[in-house]
Amino acid sequence: MKIRAYNPDWAFNSALRKRAARWQRQQLANSEQLAAIEALYPLEYYRPVWPLRVGLFIFSCLGVALGGSFLLLMTGSHTPFASGLVFCVACFALLELLIKEQRCYHAGVDNALLYAGLSSASGLIYYAFSEYLWPQRGGYHLDLGATYLVVLLVLALLVAATLRYADAVVTAAAVAAALLLVALFGLNSPKGQMLLPFLLMGAAGGLLLLYRKLAQHAANLYLTDYYANCLLTLKVLSLAVLYLAGNYLVVREGSAELHHEFTSTQIPFAPVFYALTAGVPLLYIVLGLRRADRPLLLLGLLALAFSLFTLRHYRSLLPPEVAAVAAGTLLTVLAGALLRFLRPARGGLTSMPDDEPRHFNLENLIQAQTAHAPDAPATGGFEFGGGHSGGGGATGQF
Amino acid sequence: MSAPPSARYLADLQRRNLLPPEQAASIAAAESTQPFSLHYELRALLYLGITLLAGGLGVLIYQNIDTISHGVIIAVIAALMAACFGYAARHRAPFTWGMIPKTSVGADYLLLLGCLLFVVLEGYVQYQYGLFGSRYGLATAVPALVFLPLAYWFDHRGVLAMGLTALASWVGLTVAPLAVLTENEFWNEHIRGAAIVLGVLLMAAGFYSEHQGRKAHFAFTYLLLGSNLALAALATSLVGTSLYEPLGLSYVVVMLALCAGLYWYARRTQSYWFLVLAAGYAYFATGYVLVELLLLLPSDAVFMAAFFLLPTSAVLVVLFFINIRKIMHGPADAPKPPFSSPQA
Repeated sequence: MKIRAYNPDWAFNSALRKRAARWQRQQLANSEQLAAIEALYPLEYYRPVWPLRVGLFIFSCLGVALGGSFLLLMTGSHTPFASGLVFCVACFALLELLIKEQRCYHAGVDNALLYAGLSSASGLIYYAFSEYLWPQRGGYHLDLGATYLVVLLVLALLVAATLRYADAVVTAAAVAAALLLVALFGLNSPKGQMLLPFLLMGAAGGLLLLYRKLAQHAANLYLTDYYANCLLTLKVLSLAVLYLAGNYLVVREGSAELHHEFTSTQIPFAPVFYALTAGVPLLYIVLGLRRADRPLLLLGLLALAFSLFTLRHYRSLLPPEVAAVAAGTLLTVLAGALLRFLRPARGGLTSMPDDEPRHFNLENLIQAQTAHAPDAPATGGFEFGGGHSGGGGATGQF
Repeated sequence: MSAPPSARYLADLQRRNLLPPEQAASIAAAESTQPFSLHYELRALLYLGITLLAGGLGVLIYQNIDTISHGVIIAVIAALMAACFGYAARHRAPFTWGMIPKTSVGADYLLLLGCLLFVVLEGYVQYQYGLFGSRYGLATAVPALVFLPLAYWFDHRGVLAMGLTALASWVGLTVAPLAVLTENEFWNEHIRGAAIVLGVLLMAAGFYSEHQGRKAHFAFTYLLLGSNLALAALATSLVGTSLYEPLGLSYVVVMLALCAGLYWYARRTQSYWFLVLAAGYAYFATGYVLVELLLLLPSDAVFMAAFFLLPTSAVLVVLFFINIRKIMHGPADAPKPPFSSPQA
């Protein structure tokens, strides 16, 4: 059996075609070339536009849930482990069948079946431990060692599923399981509780290093496109955890929650957390701009907003309406000025939209105009709605 | 890693002789010198700034209403509105029954802003001076009368949607005695009937404009608002009545007929929205009929049948989605769409 459930060509072809369509929009390639590329790199999978995917996902969940309860009704509740096993196996069998026969590729149906199968498998692992392996340790209350083992097994399962199905949500769950392991380790001792933020930041940093290793390793591999979503999820989540674990508000309120205090009090190492709260967003933004890294930049902006919220949560500097007017004026002036200032690109940054035909090349233009095939619009025939934004919204295009 | 290097794509394309080496080199060079676009980020920040500014100013004005007189505020709003409309009118393209290509995005948004300011102004005058007294019908009729001609004059679907919404609230207020609103009986018989009639009329207007080519691109808005109004009213009416009354049966028939109309429009304009809308309401109506029929069975059988029917219907819906392209484009011999970027 192959490791990857989907055909890696699907991911590669779709990424290549998107790239080629962009070259054509930027007049780096002409439309005949695009047509030739699209003929040689066909998309042979089923993946509808996102509203249909959402609909498919919801109805598949409904179908799976109803099917599962039907199964439970048929077998009775005497043998929950056996019926759970049957359900889990049925989910995965149906998933593999759908991928093989219908060539679903993250189309909603396969996502739902994958999540159902994985959650039932995780439930079965937990159930097996609490019920069969160590029943004398008292029903549903596992001790710490057993919990480690359960989380570790679930983590292994999730990593295996990520390798096979390359699903972003499963990747996120795997990251969460890994962080949970670290958090359990820290919560175990009073010293660990005090150092929990640093432990989590260390874990997030480790995950980031893992991401860098994987990204460098995969930079020119055929399979990069297959795992592109997983890599992005890993990166975004570890960056977010790295910031949140050092955020003053999160640490202070979390510590109060941990010690069952009614109101939060000042925490140890407070200056460190002040510095992290202020510094990490700025670091993200600067690095995002310098490396042309959009996820990092957006995370930095979000983190900056949360840092400002943290500041206002403990120190109210101005009355809210005055603060809103001041911040609004500042933002409006700043953004407006930057929009104008970066109109021609400066220092590798620009305020022009991404897909404008910037590389204006007279030769290519003439080629495109004289070619008898009109420049086909890059978006295909599978457009949603009448092709316009409808309803009460704006009709202009940004 | 927001834009991973294209080296592996370029290598693969060259291996297949789809790209001459010079062009591949120029693409690689262009990508390495391409500046990082902050367009959407800056736009979002600008939007956030304007929202904060407007909200803060609103609160400040509200707090200092005693020192600023109402007349000044009304004058400022009216002046802003006039400026918006003036700018939009200056950049207006001449009227045609077709779709007018957008020349100025700014004028488009300022028209919308002007309409919003009109509503604000009307609400302010009504609240402060009671211009319309308790004739709320008139107060909702005025925006409808202003927005609908403006929508046609400026060829603006956003304004059309606002006008139709105002029209719907006028109809609702005219039909229902005001007591209905205060007695928490919002969906009463009168309103439902009016909503069905208005929805059907709006749908008829949509079909007319599509068929006659009179602002055919407005059909989307007419049909979306009209069908949702009529079908939602029909669906709620259906829940309240029994299938075995002639009224209940006629509701089902009308619903299915409207769904068929939407299905026709969806296939004509290749619109998946309307296909899903038609399928959703048809699913509701047939599901209702089936449940009503099921309830005639003895009670044990009802339970088993429900357990059989519900998963079956979920599977049917999934099959509908999977085959939606075939449904949209007819049987297999129909020309297949290019299928070029399915993850749009």
